[in-house]
Amino acid sequence: MELSSIFFCIALVGLAACAAQVWAVHKTLSRKDNILPGDTAEDGVRFPPVSVLKPLKGLDDNLFDNLESICAQDYPAYEVIFALQDPNDPAHKVAQKVKEKYPGKDITILIARCTDGLNPKVNNLIPACRRAKYEQILISDSNVHVSRHYLKAIASQAADPRVGLVSNVIVGVGGRSLGAVLENLHLNSFVIGSVCFLNRTLKMPCVVGKSMLMKKSDLEAIGGLHEFKDVLAEDYLIGKKMREGGKKVVLSHHLVRNVNDHWDIRRFLNRHSRWGKLRWKIGGLSYLSELIANPVFVSLLPLLFLEISRTTIFFTAFVSAVKSASDMWIGKMLARANNSIAEQRDGLSTSAPRSVHPLWYVLTPLKDMVIGFMWFVPFVSTTVVWRGNRYIIGKESRLYPFPETGFWSWPHRLAHVIRTRFA
Amino acid sequence: MLLCDFHIHTTYSDGSVELRRTVDLFGQAGFDVIAITDHVVNGDSSFGKLAHRFRYSINERNFSTYIGAIREESMRARDKYGMLVIPGVEISKNYLSAEKSAHILLIDVKEFIPACWSYEKIFLAAKEQDALIVACHPHHSSEPLSRDTLYLWNNRDKYAKYIDAWEIANRDDVFNVISLKKFPYVANSDFHRTRHIYSWKTLLNCEKTVKSVKQCIRHNRGVAITLFRN
Repeated sequence: MELSSIFFCIALVGLAACAAQVWAVHKTLSRKDNILPGDTAEDGVRFPPVSVLKPLKGLDDNLFDNLESICAQDYPAYEVIFALQDPNDPAHKVAQKVKEKYPGKDITILIARCTDGLNPKVNNLIPACRRAKYEQILISDSNVHVSRHYLKAIASQAADPRVGLVSNVIVGVGGRSLGAVLENLHLNSFVIGSVCFLNRTLKMPCVVGKSMLMKKSDLEAIGGLHEFKDVLAEDYLIGKKMREGGKKVVLSHHLVRNVNDHWDIRRFLNRHSRWGKLRWKIGGLSYLSELIANPVFVSLLPLLFLEISRTTIFFTAFVSAVKSASDMWIGKMLARANNSIAEQRDGLSTSAPRSVHPLWYVLTPLKDMVIGFMWFVPFVSTTVVWRGNRYIIGKESRLYPFPETGFWSWPHRLAHVIRTRFA
Repeated sequence: MLLCDFHIHTTYSDGSVELRRTVDLFGQAGFDVIAITDHVVNGDSSFGKLAHRFRYSINERNFSTYIGAIREESMRARDKYGMLVIPGVEISKNYLSAEKSAHILLIDVKEFIPACWSYEKIFLAAKEQDALIVACHPHHSSEPLSRDTLYLWNNRDKYAKYIDAWEIANRDDVFNVISLKKFPYVANSDFHRTRHIYSWKTLLNCEKTVKSVKQCIRHNRGVAITLFRN
């Protein structure tokens, strides 16, 4: 019984952490934009020219709309560079179609094979960065959908010369499969809650690489993209180095939508095992706090390992209900913010992707249980799979080539044989 | 080269994705030409009766609504994605025996053609409408749950003259017999679920108009197939 009490106390601490996350998200989203929808000032200081770098690989959900949303910005001067490694990539055709649709826009499709590093995204970005003609560069992932005033919203925050990097609050939208729904639930609870909480209370900006605006010169000052070519968490480390270099790293409250529509469960598990390994390798012991921040999983442990009694069942049910309600609250705030930026479409042919339906929050306890079990994976595995590439991850998320043929690759080879046999 | 898929089902028959979402899925993935081909099932067999009972078939009553909806989507797809959407149907003659069953795509169909007509009558009616006639999944399929439709292949000497192209590949299957007989070919997904988008496709070297697409397939020059994967 004493052991159960310890678990109960930890779960209550976890619920308190969730409440803190709700507060942090509320505070972050309640800030007002310092631009007006009708603000078209040709102000070169406030709205300097921007080079948008879009690394493309494969077909992301909603790809056409995502690319179109960045090409239809209400912004005085900007260029878009779609960066690909392979002309046969299916994303190439989509990029071409978007370019044809916007003949008046400054859009470049850059196909340049770069094998400088192990991080495929950085490899994709190195030639694009070299090609960028403006001082301000925006790295924007292919799976994000943005509002028309996105560039204005973030560029106005980068106008301060002390600011080195502006990143955004990411909200998961869409969800037409179970994997996608779980992904969006996790992005819209733990991920956004942690990012806002770390930024507001600990003044520790946690950069998510889906949207990063910075100056070329500032990036060069910390070693350029080459410095990050062999790490998995290039976004976090760019932010960290910027801060160490004396520059401010700002979290813009302007929402960027990460569209996840057709994910299967395996993809959801793969992403979160990769992110878990990454946080373990970067955060070290602070990774342990993530388990405490998962009260549903902690409340389940007495039920699994101690006793099945009315008290333990009631406690798990209580914690699950409170956690679902808190996630739903965050979801409601995000949906409101998402709807308000969706109203700014002004004739754009893309339709804003849907927010997560409130009914899906019944899956919060299931998602938290899965994430709870996934939390242990980094202790038994150092292999990460990202966009079809397999690596070994080391300290500070440094990547090493996976030994495809060496002796220690036997588990991978065995799994491959089994998969091929049963395909 | 135009990236094409001429065998797509929606919730108008037994597909799981509604028409608008289907068009968006293909548009977002950069396709140039697609044909929506929901089933028109024969009502003279027990399978056909069940399909009609559960509304898994286009019939004479809802045909014009179906075509109208595709035309509307076609305009939206052209404006938004630069994609050509062609209306069609899959005439599905289903019987207990695989040897008796056959499925035929009629692409760019204008008037309703019932599936219970004889093969000759269907082909002639389709020709009158200048619809493209494609024999689909004509040989043994590897899908465990699908039923083979072998009638047209077994009677190819009689019917090949009516058929504009044969499916040389359908979803994950490749029918090498089509190549051995040197028949004109296309490759399609037989799309019913979202994941089916990753399957065999046709590449055409022609203009993006209905007329050019049909001509290119009929002449079967500038036609290639590709396994579309992410």
